[in-house]
Amino acid sequence: MKHSICMVSDFFYPNIGGVESHIYQLSQCLIERGHKVIVVTHAYGNRSGIRYLSNGLKVYYLPIQPVYNQCILPTVFTTLPVIRNILLRESINIVHGHSAFSALALESIFHARTMNVKAVFTDHSLFGFADLSSILTNKILKFSLAGVNHAICVSHTCKENTVLRGKIDPSDVSVIPNAVDASIFTPTSTERDPEKITIVVMSRLVYRKGADLLASVIPEICSRHSDVQFIIGGDGPKRLAIEEVREHFQLHDRIRLLGTVGHSAVRQVLVRGDIFLNTSLTEAFCIAIVEAASCGLQVVSTSVGGIPEVLPPDMIQLAEPSATSLVESLDKAIAKRRNCQLLSPDGAHDWVRKTYTWQNVAERTEIVYDKISAATEVTLADRLHRYNKCGLVAGKIFIFIAALNYLLLILCNWISPVQNIDLAIDCRKLRRLKTGGVNLEQSS
Amino acid sequence: MAMSCDRSRKKWQKVLYKDQGVSDNYVDESFLEEMKKNLHIRTYEFWAVVRESNVVMHQIYSVWIFVAVYFHMRNFVLTPQFLFEMSSAVTIVGYIVNFVILHENALTKSRWKDGKTMGIFLILGFSLSPILMTLTKTISTDTIYAMTFFMLLANLLFHDYGTDAAIVSQAFSLNAAIFASICLASRLPTTWHAFSLVTFAFELFALWPILRRNLKIHFPRLQIILSFLLGSVVTVSVATVSSVAVVVFLLLHLFITILCPAWLIRLQPYKNNIHGPWDEAVIKQ
Repeated sequence: MKHSICMVSDFFYPNIGGVESHIYQLSQCLIERGHKVIVVTHAYGNRSGIRYLSNGLKVYYLPIQPVYNQCILPTVFTTLPVIRNILLRESINIVHGHSAFSALALESIFHARTMNVKAVFTDHSLFGFADLSSILTNKILKFSLAGVNHAICVSHTCKENTVLRGKIDPSDVSVIPNAVDASIFTPTSTERDPEKITIVVMSRLVYRKGADLLASVIPEICSRHSDVQFIIGGDGPKRLAIEEVREHFQLHDRIRLLGTVGHSAVRQVLVRGDIFLNTSLTEAFCIAIVEAASCGLQVVSTSVGGIPEVLPPDMIQLAEPSATSLVESLDKAIAKRRNCQLLSPDGAHDWVRKTYTWQNVAERTEIVYDKISAATEVTLADRLHRYNKCGLVAGKIFIFIAALNYLLLILCNWISPVQNIDLAIDCRKLRRLKTGGVNLEQSS
Repeated sequence: MAMSCDRSRKKWQKVLYKDQGVSDNYVDESFLEEMKKNLHIRTYEFWAVVRESNVVMHQIYSVWIFVAVYFHMRNFVLTPQFLFEMSSAVTIVGYIVNFVILHENALTKSRWKDGKTMGIFLILGFSLSPILMTLTKTISTDTIYAMTFFMLLANLLFHDYGTDAAIVSQAFSLNAAIFASICLASRLPTTWHAFSLVTFAFELFALWPILRRNLKIHFPRLQIILSFLLGSVVTVSVATVSSVAVVVFLLLHLFITILCPAWLIRLQPYKNNIHGPWDEAVIKQ
């Protein structure tokens, strides 16, 4: 069964990032499978209006500017008219929101449910429970997830985290991992320095990504092994700490700081290494280690979040988040490299190419779409009842908001009736006419 | 053929790279197995908590004594000379006690420095007192009292009671108290009154907490006796100003010393701290 899907998020092209490429790749694969996909996001500077990306992927850049952290101002009700219009014009039957940080995604899911359109939410990150910002975000998440038909998480740890935060039934959450475009991340042996062992680090240099751990590990490894060198790509507030270590231990010829590395240049940096080091303190999935494995590097990483689930033990060395444990694991990896006991780069690349593919992600997402399309409709009363379960006081507030949104929808239907809204051209029909089947010019 | 597939089915593993033959929304028995609740629990004992609550009460005593002194001066029961002489004598005794319990030498350079600071402060205070008197002439007394109330409340809220919470700010707390004293001092009739009240406020809010902290470290048993002493001083001085106020004070005392500890202990079973592999890792040394 073919669906009309609307991907919504605050994070999309021209921004580059994990969520952005996830949405783009997933949309492309779904289009290949014959579904109709559009993307809705906010304006980026002057880029506002409708743009078409490859394969007829239609992107709506809504004329709303982001205010904080790449997200629009959350107003709940003001996005209703425009989202309603888009969903009706494009005859959307599934809305797929991405990222709990995205106000636009959460609001669109809310409006979709008010209009009885099925909604799916994908969570890409892990959250805590104890601090004030987490408590507020989790309440908002409970509100969003109370209305959603199904949720998708990128790892089992992420699923546990989402189930606890959003208080939803675990059988309503599917685990569909991220994937990587293995054709871009191919290994080559010519870039590597054969006499030295190169350790590559590619992350933002911030506390959360373990920059402090990195700063304490580097001098220890450099003193134990004289043929090891580090290449560090990425920038951030902790760059100074790394530079200080370099100064203090006189390691100028053994540590190279590249600064921010553009997305297209990442592969060039990765293929220069033998070992990839990841010191993050929290990660839901960590696409960076899969990219590194695809380029044939052995991975050494802290065992946090969803990282233990991603790669098999012969491709990754896990360590506790402490300097001593990381040094131990790096020692093991370096020893393996010296004794040529590592998996061959081509072997690693083939494994990643077969295991983490976007086609597989699209197939599994399609199963979720089929399941929710077949499910029975939830009445307004049931929805309000589910919102009520979100909390003693919060439940009543959420019921009020949901009811008000429903009334506003009726108002919109009265002002701009459904029959008067033109339907947009379906790109799939154009593709079918062009690529296969009947050649229109010949038949007429 | 397909013999007993279920029995030979391998245990479900929490990995993403294997197709384990189950649907994506499969919930295994090991779901949430690594979640731990309430790892760092502390058990509280009622009387221990009551004893520790006197830290808060001491600061409240200071505030009430200060306000009572203001009202006594207003009613001309207390003369500024008496207040100045008494507070100076007590301060000097307290100062001596402070460096005795810290086992410091009596004749070090810091004595001279402290003496200089005191001298500068007294001269500055005395010369600025006439300005202080007319400072709030145009503001109504009610506004002054309201501002004083909020400033003293801020003093209580931001005071350093020995924890390192984010809300603690010694500087802000002291500033609030001094501002409150300036508000009240400006309502007094003569320069002498204003000067003596502000000096008393400084001694009470800036110097007394230091001595209190040192006494608590070296003589912890003295705290209860001190509480009783100060408590009775406050009760007596407030009672002579207003009987309603003393009732309020006693109720407040009961609330903080008995009711709040009981409430804290009653709420402990509801604690629900969730820990698990999703937490941001703490770097182990």
